[in-house]
Amino acid sequence: MKPVIALTKGRVEKQFLAYLEERAIDSTPLVEKGRKLSVETDQAIYFFAKGVDVTTYVEHGIADLGVVGEDIIAEFQPDVFNLFPLPFGACKMAVAAEKEKVWPDRKKRIASKYTNITKQFYLDKGESVDIIKLEGSVELAPLLGLADAIVDIVETGTTLKENGLEVIEDIQHFTARVIANRSSLKMKRDILQPYITLLQEEVSTS
Amino acid sequence: MFLPAGSRDLTGKQLTNRVAIYETFQSVVNLRNYQAIETPVIEYGNTFTNSYAGMTLKKMLKWFDEEGEIEVLRPDWTIAVARALSNQQSKRQKWAYAGSVFRKDHNGVESHQAGIEIIRTPGLYGEYESLFTAVRFLRELGVESYSIELGHTEIFETFISTLELNEEKASQVRQAMHDKRKDEVYRLISETGSEQTAAAVADLADAFGGTAVLAKYEQEWAENPKLLAVIQELQQLAVSLEELGQDVIVDLGRVKQLPYYNGAMFRGFLAANGAECFSGGRYDELYEQFGGSMSAVGLAFDMDVLAAALPAAAKQERVCILTDAKGLIAAEKLRDKFPHAVIDVRTDETAETYDQVFQLVRNGEEYEVKAK
Repeated sequence: MKPVIALTKGRVEKQFLAYLEERAIDSTPLVEKGRKLSVETDQAIYFFAKGVDVTTYVEHGIADLGVVGEDIIAEFQPDVFNLFPLPFGACKMAVAAEKEKVWPDRKKRIASKYTNITKQFYLDKGESVDIIKLEGSVELAPLLGLADAIVDIVETGTTLKENGLEVIEDIQHFTARVIANRSSLKMKRDILQPYITLLQEEVSTS
Repeated sequence: MFLPAGSRDLTGKQLTNRVAIYETFQSVVNLRNYQAIETPVIEYGNTFTNSYAGMTLKKMLKWFDEEGEIEVLRPDWTIAVARALSNQQSKRQKWAYAGSVFRKDHNGVESHQAGIEIIRTPGLYGEYESLFTAVRFLRELGVESYSIELGHTEIFETFISTLELNEEKASQVRQAMHDKRKDEVYRLISETGSEQTAAAVADLADAFGGTAVLAKYEQEWAENPKLLAVIQELQQLAVSLEELGQDVIVDLGRVKQLPYYNGAMFRGFLAANGAECFSGGRYDELYEQFGGSMSAVGLAFDMDVLAAALPAAAKQERVCILTDAKGLIAAEKLRDKFPHAVIDVRTDETAETYDQVFQLVRNGEEYEVKAK
């Protein structure tokens, strides 16, 4: 039996493969996977899915471990072990608005893909807002007058800048993380632990 | 017609298995001298949400009664049974229940449980009896490959009580610990200044595995009477289970999910798919709300998990008796000849398959049996 690992497709996947290489974990079949969604190596079985689906597969025990952005974990609160951070995928969740925004004299409207994080943030602040759920290009919302501000992931800030927006408040910093199924971690401990140990190993990057 | 999300009809193996499992459960607890108890499906929300019980209303199925009180469908057996037993004059110690619980956090809203409550017993009697009943019940069911995990609320709570955290912070640390999120556990605790405690608690997240973990921490906590007592208690339970041939694992970093747990916690994981087939523990504090402290230990089996895990029941002999409407009485009498077979009396042919098919043919006033 091998560990079954769900990986978030895209940027996190590429950084994770580089991370595996640094630790001498064989990742060649993963790099050369083409359009295959599932790949088996000598050490593990990997499959690739969208971030939120990674948490679903791990929660249901289809995958033992998952690699996913913490933003997804914070937004969807899956019932999994949230083991440790990985040194990539760093970003932050922040509130952004137009430069020198004049706030209207009414309840604010906040647009976001991350409605749960947004709701919790304003709840903790003690401020009532209306939240508008968008699926992408959230930066458009303030420009077109749909919302007063947005809550979104900020990596470099370039997109915000080019659209005349600026961060007005940080909410939380995130990185990619390793998650585990609650019973797999215990029932398959002998096969998962060596892999987990490898992932946590410090390596010199010189 | 449609069903609401989360509701479902059931036929076939899952249902027949569950009925059979309930029967086995009844027989096992009867032989161990448990008394049956049933509580109503509808209760006041406050029974489950008061500060002793500590459940949240959010996931319950609820409505207002005509006086404006919140009523709920039973979300938990243990709390309901505690309420019921506190009103009972009976001095019985061992109680068993079986039935549905309703919560919106499972795959469906309704799940099926059977369980036991052991109250007013001395020492570790309740823990032993709960675990031994589980082993006996699962053995009777033919469930062979599973692990019993032992934990204890007072490990984490002992560390946390030295920190003087407010309730909000304590619950954040507890959640991070529940998620085995070591970095967050360390960060939250070291904020209060004690890096040593932070490191010790964060390490607990990894303190799970075989019973060797107990030996390791017995040494580590040799100077701490409170933690040492906890380890020794878990060792006694582990040894007793191993003596019964049961695989035992431990998780010293496990934290309580509801405020009323105060002692050993245990649960069973099926080896085949890792599903949790039972869980329970000690919760003396739940009974404190009814005045007077009392020993209380128990566990509940997840009948849906067990029903899905068991193979379909062994096939019985199937006999079909074909007759006309007037021959039904003669056919009924024939049942005595096949006391253990499934007998399907029909007045029309069917595509179903049987081991034997007989035809009742009228011969004057009598019916004659002819094999087909």
